[in-house]
Amino acid sequence: MVREFQSVIGREVKVQIRAFQSGDPDALVACVGGGSNAIGLFAPFYDHKKVAFYGVEAGGEGLRSGRHSATLCTGRPGVLHGARTYVMQDENGQVLPTHSISAGLDYPAVGPEHAFYKDTGRAVYVAATDKEALAGFKMLNETEGLSAALESSHALGFLPRLAKKMKRSQSVVLGLSGRGDKDMAQLAEGFHEPH
Amino acid sequence: MNRIDRLFVDLKGQGRKALIAYVTGGYPTLSVMDKAVKDLVRGGADLIEIGVPFSDPIADGPTIQESSQKALDGGITPGALLDWVKRFRKSHETPLVLMTYMNPVVSRGFDRFAREAKTAGVDGVIVPDLIIEEGGPLEESLARQGIHLIYLVAPTTPKSRREQIARRSKGFLYAVSLTGVTGARRALPKDVGAFLADVRRRSPVPVAVGFGISDPAQARHAAAEADGVIVGSALIQRLKNKEPLLPFARSLRHALDRP
Repeated sequence: MVREFQSVIGREVKVQIRAFQSGDPDALVACVGGGSNAIGLFAPFYDHKKVAFYGVEAGGEGLRSGRHSATLCTGRPGVLHGARTYVMQDENGQVLPTHSISAGLDYPAVGPEHAFYKDTGRAVYVAATDKEALAGFKMLNETEGLSAALESSHALGFLPRLAKKMKRSQSVVLGLSGRGDKDMAQLAEGFHEPH
Repeated sequence: MNRIDRLFVDLKGQGRKALIAYVTGGYPTLSVMDKAVKDLVRGGADLIEIGVPFSDPIADGPTIQESSQKALDGGITPGALLDWVKRFRKSHETPLVLMTYMNPVVSRGFDRFAREAKTAGVDGVIVPDLIIEEGGPLEESLARQGIHLIYLVAPTTPKSRREQIARRSKGFLYAVSLTGVTGARRALPKDVGAFLADVRRRSPVPVAVGFGISDPAQARHAAAEADGVIVGSALIQRLKNKEPLLPFARSLRHALDRP
């Protein structure tokens, strides 16, 4: 149901991309916590196999630190809140505490359709750390004058890594799922930390 | 014959109701819990439900949530609880039911979980976040070991579905007395009698009622239209306050048996 209603994002992309180019974008990028904005962007392109999907999870203080919310990158299948999907859990099936600089990505499970996309290889899931998210936020401010939400900033933080592997002629659509106005306190704290 | 089935057959013969006592596994410690269970049995509990603590206990209210977290902080694991069951079985034949959530069972693997539970001496399993549509594989794994999977119905469960669930439940059917989570309440819903009567009419297995039953009068009232009552949070509250369980268990037993 979430996918169905969020799919307006991807459907609009299909139409609006025509103002810039004739075909589909080469890649779609979106942050994934529960995964609603990402599935909404991806789903309408599901059958367009040439379009690559990248879901960016919250890497927190790094995947090795244990302080993150990268469910698809580090979890294993389980059942949480009534859905069978990837879950961050210990060897006894206890759900692990999560961390992220963005509250919206701080969730130990993920929408089950992303688990399907991962297992079938339709999408690639990566993690961006808190620091990369801050760098992503800064990049968009400096280049476009837009303040993205800290959630979307994870997708932005991953973008330079992806762009390095792509050709200049290729295009990427990134889902900016929210504004950063709500995150000013977190941002102020984040940018004051030495890094 | 499964110990739960035998219990309800015996009780029916005696015209008595089952007193089912819930404790959180490993709360406040495994040794205190061990003594609590034995006191409850001595006080007249017919069946013991052991909660296997889970990090996200979505069907539980604050009392059992807190006890689960405390037990987990104390390092309790499903393995340690199964070991406890094994030790308990050396001295007691009281039917034992594990109440857990789906993820720890999925994590362990259905067949392994069922085998280990059987070896330890478990008679039934309650998984409140499991629906009948998804329950088949676990039912099969447990059935191969002679362990019952006990399903739940709530007042919000449509009548036709109550019947479907009751037909799938083995040992007994867990009737949730109210719309909400576990926890002692001052009063049970007024229409609990009608709900229980309906469930009981539809169920081929005995019906035990739980959630919110916190004193002997409530237990007696709820038992009028059921085959057993389940008391949980009220026991955990007493364990938290370091109050003895034996007199309370006796008062519940007395309330159920009084003519």
